[in-house]
Amino acid sequence: NMSSFRKALKSRQKNHHERSQPGFRKQLGLLEKKKDYKLRADDYHKKQNTLAALRKKALEKNPDEFYFKMISSPLQDGVHVIKKTKEVEEVTEEQKKMMRTQDINYVEMKRVAEVKKIERLKGELHLLDAESKPKNKHTFFVDSKKEVHSFNLADHLNTAPELVDRVYNRPTLETLETKRIQGAVDPRALGKLAKQRKHQYKILSQRIDREKKMFVISQKIQTRKDLQDKCKKVKVKKETTSTSAIYKFEAKRKR
Amino acid sequence: MKPGFSPRMDRGGRGGGRGGGRGGFGDRGGRGGFRGGFRGGRGGGFQSPDGGGFRGRGGGRGTPRGRGGRGGRGGRGGFGGGKKVLIEPHRHEGVFICRGKEDALVTKNMVVGESVYGEKRISVEEGETKIEYRAWNPFRSKLAAAILGGVDQIHIKPGAKVMYLGAASGTTVSHVSDIVGPEGLVYAVEFSHRSGRDLLNVAKKRTNIIPIIEDARHPHKYRMLVGMVDVIFADVAQPDQTRIVALNAHNFLKNGGHFVISIKANCIDSTAAPEAVFASEVKKMSAENMKPQEQLTLEPYERDHAVVVGIYRPPPKQKK
Repeated sequence: NMSSFRKALKSRQKNHHERSQPGFRKQLGLLEKKKDYKLRADDYHKKQNTLAALRKKALEKNPDEFYFKMISSPLQDGVHVIKKTKEVEEVTEEQKKMMRTQDINYVEMKRVAEVKKIERLKGELHLLDAESKPKNKHTFFVDSKKEVHSFNLADHLNTAPELVDRVYNRPTLETLETKRIQGAVDPRALGKLAKQRKHQYKILSQRIDREKKMFVISQKIQTRKDLQDKCKKVKVKKETTSTSAIYKFEAKRKR
Repeated sequence: MKPGFSPRMDRGGRGGGRGGGRGGFGDRGGRGGFRGGFRGGRGGGFQSPDGGGFRGRGGGRGTPRGRGGRGGRGGRGGFGGGKKVLIEPHRHEGVFICRGKEDALVTKNMVVGESVYGEKRISVEEGETKIEYRAWNPFRSKLAAAILGGVDQIHIKPGAKVMYLGAASGTTVSHVSDIVGPEGLVYAVEFSHRSGRDLLNVAKKRTNIIPIIEDARHPHKYRMLVGMVDVIFADVAQPDQTRIVALNAHNFLKNGGHFVISIKANCIDSTAAPEAVFASEVKKMSAENMKPQEQLTLEPYERDHAVVVGIYRPPPKQKK
């Protein structure tokens, strides 16, 4: 009967493959199908339509029409040149590159490592006679006006007058007489040490700079991450090269 | 062949191309995975982006600073010693300046071979004797900052009996103990149990430190432990700190003894100008029979901090 015939047919069913390019037309490449044609045709018509629209616009243009750019942009060799307004740079190239390629965890890790190194360096570099350090203020309290007038710093501190400006150590006269310097006293060795010290300070300042930069970058990446949240926020402050943008997020109960 | 028809290698290629195009969104899926981790690490978020390099102290008094961790480094002890550093005696006895590759304030280490909070140690050989020094970080210690700022007197010297209020983890206390030496004594008072634990560990190694885990506002609680002292150093960062120092001075400071108080303007009154805060504190001291002799701000090591040094119940002036 019919049903058994149908079943028998099923067993002999074939997978129909798409027709491919015949061997003798191989030099023409893959055989184009309807859906390929569709894509190509749509693309072609889109371009043609755009060209037609532009052509029409150009034909219909009113040559007497006024545009503000005509007066706001200066002429250069008979052609209006629009001056580019220089925008305030928000993200430096370096920051962009870092933000694109580095994960925030990595930046943070590097920054923390830098902080630790800075701490260690600061533990042994105490800015003893750094020239540009902020000055502190030293006040002496005395009993009478007369003492104020007769005040002499070197006498008050019981030290040599030439040592008065050497704030980090102004030995007393007794100390100068009784104690002595230990360790390296050879002037050549001292010169070498001074050079090494200067180098250490340089490294410290470089590290501090680097840490600051990485701090800014990690803040900026974090801000971008936070912005992907779908919640209400208001921009409070614009981004600058040294700070991330500041947004105020709507308070939301977390459960 | 029709113009514009670009031959394709195989069908799959096209599909692949499209998949690549969507790649821009592809990492959206990955995002979910990161989230949890970031939230925790964020901390301050947007606040104070200008923090910069010198944010060092942020941790506050309670936190034990940098102990452990780097202790292991100690073994090396300096940098070959020898003639690689110059040790210069400081104005204040027991304190030294070390100049070599480093540029540091140091004290002579009482417990040779041990760092207290991971600070650097520097050993110097003079003939046969070998002396070890420990770097004293002015960015962490107000007393060190005051010394480098050129304070006239700290009154803490070998053999002195010192009361130290607000000892925290005992980092500065360890240097004070170095200065006063085996003949001196340091009564280190700290209220917080957490940092008190570190203080106890410091005191275990240094016999001249007597740790007291009590509130400095109630000196009667530890009056049995403490004898008369020559000088009180206070770094308590409390609004009523002058009163606290005065209470302790009335109980333990000898007549004509001295006090050294570190004032953090923010802790007294965060709205007033620092100068005004210092002036008002100095006035309070005078009312308590504590006569200020000098005042010193702590730039560049601390911002809006000052140290006031003075004398308690000064002896009457001799008439000429």
